Amino acid sequence: MLKNLAAKAIVPVGLTVTGFVIVCSILLYSYVKQDLVADSIQREVLLGDIIVKATRFSMLTDQRESLRQTINDIGEQKGVEHVRIFNKKGVIMFSSNDEEVNQLVDMSAPGCIECHSGPVTAVHLGPMDQARNFVNAQGEPVLAITTPIYNEPNCSNGGCHFHAPDEKILGTLDIGMSQAPLLKSLATLRVRLVIFCLMVLVLTVGGVIALLQRNVLLPVRQLVYFADQVSRGNLEINEPEGTEELVSLAGNFKRLARRNLEADDSLRDLQDKLDTLTRQIREREIGHKSGN
Amino acid sequence: MGFLRNVRRPPDTPNRAETAAAPGRERIRRLHRLAYRGLWGMAAFLALSLVAFNHGWLLPPISDGARAVLGKAPPTNLISIALVVYSFSALVLILSRMSTGQGKYKGWSHLAYLGAFYVFYHYGNALDANFWAVFAAGLTIMALEHYQMWTFCTEAIRKEEERLAQAERLEKFKS
Repeated sequence: MLKNLAAKAIVPVGLTVTGFVIVCSILLYSYVKQDLVADSIQREVLLGDIIVKATRFSMLTDQRESLRQTINDIGEQKGVEHVRIFNKKGVIMFSSNDEEVNQLVDMSAPGCIECHSGPVTAVHLGPMDQARNFVNAQGEPVLAITTPIYNEPNCSNGGCHFHAPDEKILGTLDIGMSQAPLLKSLATLRVRLVIFCLMVLVLTVGGVIALLQRNVLLPVRQLVYFADQVSRGNLEINEPEGTEELVSLAGNFKRLARRNLEADDSLRDLQDKLDTLTRQIREREIGHKSGN
Repeated sequence: MGFLRNVRRPPDTPNRAETAAAPGRERIRRLHRLAYRGLWGMAAFLALSLVAFNHGWLLPPISDGARAVLGKAPPTNLISIALVVYSFSALVLILSRMSTGQGKYKGWSHLAYLGAFYVFYHYGNALDANFWAVFAAGLTIMALEHYQMWTFCTEAIRKEEERLAQAERLEKFKS
């Protein structure tokens, strides 16, 4: 396992690059999600303020039917899960869902507890604290915002209905928007990031394989063939082309083989001379014996 | 021949070759143990991640008193930047150790760093959103540490076995 050069080079590079890209992608996804959620909260807070401003005149002049109709119309908009206005006691006065009207809201429920957790009710909250996430009865994720309706001089001085000037909050607007489009965008982003990670993995592994094949594996294979031929005595073969180190190694190998071959030749010559001399000595010895 | 019943054979004494090879065999055993140290590190990291994944019911919530003592949690974005910088430097250091052929295992210190990231995210109430980032970083780092150690030990074992075989051949030749 993992004994060849390609595997030894690919495993650490592939693991490092892919792992790091996955970490960065997860964090990038986390950042984008955080930004998109913060952005939708800001938009919803703005929408809440717009509704409060748009219904201000109806409230000031106590036009309840007009207010009810406005709330119903907004509630029918695509993506709006609920719109309701409740008074400071927590009784729902107006709602896009008629069944909720005159119902009492639990002060310890999410969306209420943020202001009503302490002994003194909080009057001002940051936009992020006004938001709450939940899943509705249809299983759809919802992001809801509660916007306080503050007392104004016109409210306490109005002739039609009276609010004491020391009352800071007269009621609360609660609007919930479906999170389905946001979650759909995040799911698309997730798929794109997974594809990106796979592409990085393929490119990294492919790039390393291609470079190794071209610069290392092919020249090494040629060098093995060259060494095989030279060791069989074929010195006519050309050195393989490739990286400088491999060419130098092939040249050295060829020189070594040539010297070895020359040494063999000279040894053979010496052996021949020795054989000739031995033969001559024997012939002389035989001639000497026959002469005697 | 009855006296032979009471005579016992002397214990087998190891010959010279075996005595000489014993330290080499011990080194090989030690290298085998070292090669699997990375797997233990990965198992420990997986156990730590399992605790972090189920932190909702495995870890007690941090009380307001503890928060008052420890102070405000660092911003999540800052922890994430630190995680990226840490992962990058850890990977570069492992690769440099791999290229210089050092046989040091640093998985235990990485385990402590990764545990600290889980703790920081948990303290900042952001572990749910960032668990997979720490997990992926940890898995990559621990896997690369294991691979580095495993390749180093495999190479060292091969060299040690070659040395043993050479010593055995020499001993046979001498005898």
